[in-house]
Amino acid sequence: MKIPGHAAATGASRRWQGEGPWAWLSAAAVALSLLMLGALLVLLATRGLGHFWPADLHQLRLADGQRLIGVPVETRQLPDDSGYERRYFTANRDHQGGIWTWVAEDAIEQDRTPNDLIVLQRGRWGAFFGRLVAVVTETERFGGDRAWQALRQRLDHLEELRQQSESLRRDHILPLIRQMERMKEHSRLSEQLTELEQQALTLQRAMTGTVLVLETADGKRFEQPLESVLDAWHPNSMGSVEKLAHWSRGVWQFLSEGPRDANAAGGVWPAIFGTVLMVMLMSLLVTPFGVLAAVYLNEVAHQGRLTRWVRIGVRNLAGVPSIVYGVFGLGVFVYGIGGSLDRLFYADTLPSPTFGTGGLLWASLTLALLTLPVVIVATEEGLARIPLHQREGALALGATHFETLTRVVLPMATPAMLTGVILAVARAAGEVAPLMLVGVAKLAPQVPVDGEFPFLHLERKFMHLGYHIYDAAFHSNDVQAALPLVYATALLLVLVILVLNLTAIFLRHYLRLRHGVPVRR
Amino acid sequence: MPEPVPFSSLHRHRQRRDRLATALITAGGVGVLLAVLAIGIFLVTGVLPLFLSDNGPSLTALWQPQANVDGVVEYRWLPESLKGGGIPQVNLLPLVWGTLEAALWALVLAIPLALGAAAHSSLFMSPRLRHRIRPTLELMEAMPSVVLGFIAGLVLGPWVERHLAETFTVIAALPLGILLVAGLRRCLPGAIRHWLSLRWAALWLIPCLAGSVIVALWGASYWENLWFDGDLRAWIEIHLGLDVQARNALILGLAMGFAVMPGIYALAEDALSDVPKELCEGAQAMGATRWQTLTKVMLPVALPGIFSAVMIGAGRAVGETMIVLMASGNTALMSANPLDGLRSLASSIAIELPEAVMGSSHYRLLLLAALALFIFTFVVNTLAEVVRSRLRQRLVRQRSMR
Amino acid sequence: MEFAREKASLDIQGLTLSYAGKPALKDLTLRIPRNKVTAFIGPSGCGKSTLLRSLNRLHDLNEDVTREGSIHLEGHDIHDPRVSVAELRRRVGMVFQAPNPFPMSIYENVAFGLRLQGRMSKRRIDDVVEWALKSAALWDEVKGRLRASAWSLSGGQQQRLVIARTLAVEPEVLLLDEPASALDPISTLKIEELIRTLKPHLTLVLVTHNMQQAARVSDYTAYLHNGELVEYGPTDTLFTHPRLRRTENYITGRMVG
Repeated sequence: MKIPGHAAATGASRRWQGEGPWAWLSAAAVALSLLMLGALLVLLATRGLGHFWPADLHQLRLADGQRLIGVPVETRQLPDDSGYERRYFTANRDHQGGIWTWVAEDAIEQDRTPNDLIVLQRGRWGAFFGRLVAVVTETERFGGDRAWQALRQRLDHLEELRQQSESLRRDHILPLIRQMERMKEHSRLSEQLTELEQQALTLQRAMTGTVLVLETADGKRFEQPLESVLDAWHPNSMGSVEKLAHWSRGVWQFLSEGPRDANAAGGVWPAIFGTVLMVMLMSLLVTPFGVLAAVYLNEVAHQGRLTRWVRIGVRNLAGVPSIVYGVFGLGVFVYGIGGSLDRLFYADTLPSPTFGTGGLLWASLTLALLTLPVVIVATEEGLARIPLHQREGALALGATHFETLTRVVLPMATPAMLTGVILAVARAAGEVAPLMLVGVAKLAPQVPVDGEFPFLHLERKFMHLGYHIYDAAFHSNDVQAALPLVYATALLLVLVILVLNLTAIFLRHYLRLRHGVPVRR
Repeated sequence: MPEPVPFSSLHRHRQRRDRLATALITAGGVGVLLAVLAIGIFLVTGVLPLFLSDNGPSLTALWQPQANVDGVVEYRWLPESLKGGGIPQVNLLPLVWGTLEAALWALVLAIPLALGAAAHSSLFMSPRLRHRIRPTLELMEAMPSVVLGFIAGLVLGPWVERHLAETFTVIAALPLGILLVAGLRRCLPGAIRHWLSLRWAALWLIPCLAGSVIVALWGASYWENLWFDGDLRAWIEIHLGLDVQARNALILGLAMGFAVMPGIYALAEDALSDVPKELCEGAQAMGATRWQTLTKVMLPVALPGIFSAVMIGAGRAVGETMIVLMASGNTALMSANPLDGLRSLASSIAIELPEAVMGSSHYRLLLLAALALFIFTFVVNTLAEVVRSRLRQRLVRQRSMR
Repeated sequence: MEFAREKASLDIQGLTLSYAGKPALKDLTLRIPRNKVTAFIGPSGCGKSTLLRSLNRLHDLNEDVTREGSIHLEGHDIHDPRVSVAELRRRVGMVFQAPNPFPMSIYENVAFGLRLQGRMSKRRIDDVVEWALKSAALWDEVKGRLRASAWSLSGGQQQRLVIARTLAVEPEVLLLDEPASALDPISTLKIEELIRTLKPHLTLVLVTHNMQQAARVSDYTAYLHNGELVEYGPTDTLFTHPRLRRTENYITGRMVG
């Protein structure tokens, strides 16, 4: 038997194997999302980590006779389609004014990578690309092949001196000055101080004296005092193992050092420290309160209409924009509570605020409030998933309500709470907008933890990885120069957050395996 | 006969401890909940003096266009004008417009992606892959917005500004490429076709997509030369009279769509998988394809859930700060041109509040902006939650009736 | 008659229990004799579990429940406001339908109730755990792995562990809510055996839907229907010569629950 029109229908569906184009487009939606995520991660990883790799230096001779030394960064099509131009990072800000040079590809006559080119990392003026002619000390002059060895030797020595001087300042001079500030009578102390300062001066003097004779690409020679040189290497003659070692050192310095050049160079250690400290304080605040509220909602409160509305309200607070929490933090914590604290306890330093301005404590509190719903919801889900018969089992043994809670229910809900806290931490670590209102600093002169009583300075401003990205990317003088570090910082932040989230996902998975199918409200 | 044991008072202290703990938990819990709800109260009390005092900007000035010095009637957000003696030009409309425009573009990208992905993973995807995809997309959601803003504002924005033609070609090439691949797949021998199944399409389509992107980038300049004299940007600026900014609403929408999409996906997928299996099986038993089952049977049932997913996504897009701050240019314009910049409520707060003097009209105005965001997201989320729980209750009832 | 002379452990007088206004138990009056096994039988939904749970006031958890009438344990009103519910529940232990050991070690499960009673030496706890596990006929099976997770035991072992856990706090009454319904026949037999050996030491109340089980292990049987006590008496009499037609129908399986 044949139904009219039936054949046509099968024909149409067979063309798409029964599912039609939309099925494929919907599959592409997943694929596209994954592709975007992957592309983002790959971009961050290559740019962020690639920056520390000692790239080969190219020596170019152009058609007009100009010579330059640089690292190619990008290639663009010329506007009139006549070819391509390439951007070189040529450093030497003190000699050329800029650090970038655009070169038309056609204009390049010769492109070589000679082994004797060196890179100097300097405290001022940034990097230098060129040749080392000689190292001149007060007594001797090292030229030719001996120059490089002499430079390495002197640099290692210099590093030692720098550390000595730093520890002298940090461990001896600064505490003394603080002591003097507290005490009235300090003639004996000031003698000590003079002596220490004399030592520091001697160290300073020991660093000076050596001068490098350098040659730029166009053959100009100049002298560079050694004490402002931080590091030196010659990328073109480095083997891959050497390069890897140099790369690891670069990564380590990025993680362990402070920023230079208005956040456009150097490391992010204070930002890592600030982020971690703030997040730790936040989790210390949010965990007990979040768990308390969840326990109240789920275990104590009468399960009526009001509780249901409160629960919906709490859930929705997770959707309230973070900037609104920032506004709340600024208005209530900073201006309200902080302002009152200042009037009560720090009246002598007014009008310069102590707690009445953004700081570590207010930032942690604001983020704790922001992440409270995350912890409450996760804990509540964990509590709801615990079977009734477990509670009844404990009650039937003569446990009170509270004992049942602390001995059976809460231990069983621990993974859920942990998941909530980790998710909260992951969210807080990536949150920047509210921090801009309640205490993050572009460049914090002091880390909030030091040797001075009370050691943890809750009122101080702090640096933050996320804000560092924003600041370096938008407020530095030369965005292009800061870009590699922004990539590296972004990669670091993303990695931290990915690890935290993966931990939470793993915990939740483990939790589901242990307690069966999740219960949904 | 054994003596009946009297009820001992030995454990009286345990009972007392229990009561004390319950009272403490109650106090703590209620306290925390009140603290959380205090946000709304704080904002309202902060905003009220704005309307009660006489010297601040009038209510109408916040919503009505105003004549500026040159006599041109315009919507303007110039908070500096509050300090000078002149007429304050603090119109919130450009900010509201910017906020909604940004959210709209984000949703334009996020909704098709999220709903497509939800449909695919609940209908076709192999369960093994599905269990991996969800956490992966959760990671996507966890991507810090400052990083997305940085990529959009400093990497993608300038690139798109220089490569407008390539951008539009890529957008067009992606769906076409996929359809082409799906068509080509039919011509392949059975073994390969089996291997390239729809169940695993989410994975093997990734290289296909990357391929279409490369082809599109390669071919873009060809038709740009052909139709737009080799410079689409100039053509748009001259012939359409539209401004092209590096940081514009489209770029912003892309970055925010990326941020919002996983959230919508997760909720929409929940809504689809909550549809009773018997319903779908019934439809398929009558010969409907799975895609037909989706549109005819599952969608009507799951529609409230999907609606609430989109609402929650919209709430997030409206409140997003860092991406807008970094990728929008922050120009308070009332322009419908997607290649123009914009300024949103959230980014205005982030930029201006640290500088606004506490208690000044500017400060209160920004508080009003925060209140607007708060109320909007709260209402949207509550609506979504209510719709979602209604749906769930209905489905549960249906299931228990069977 | 012997039944009338039994010493009552639990004395229920005119008990009416309503869930949200709907009565679940209607004016029940019965005395549960000491050191005997009393079984509650009846179709599902007849209120036998409700009655059992009201004996250790587990219904206090539910806020919709209202109660009239009284229950006395060894002559003391269990609803007396001076009574500690926790203490009552220690004295009236309960074993549930599905085994519900806590996610702890076997040892910790048994020691759980003891630790609630206050500080106790490790030595004493060890002794009580061993004694309880022996009383529950589980000792020989688990003595080598007391630190293993309780969830690694089989269903039957878990149920005996729950009984051991309850015995460890030395209850006077043990309530058993269909304790074998989730178990295989061999485990069921072991539980029944255990009930018989426990009888000299405490009062047992057993809810079961299994007529044979009631006949095998109980001394007295109460038949409940729709929240009412239909017939109550020595098990032998009830099963062989039921006084009422309704009881006979149920016992012989002619009645659908």
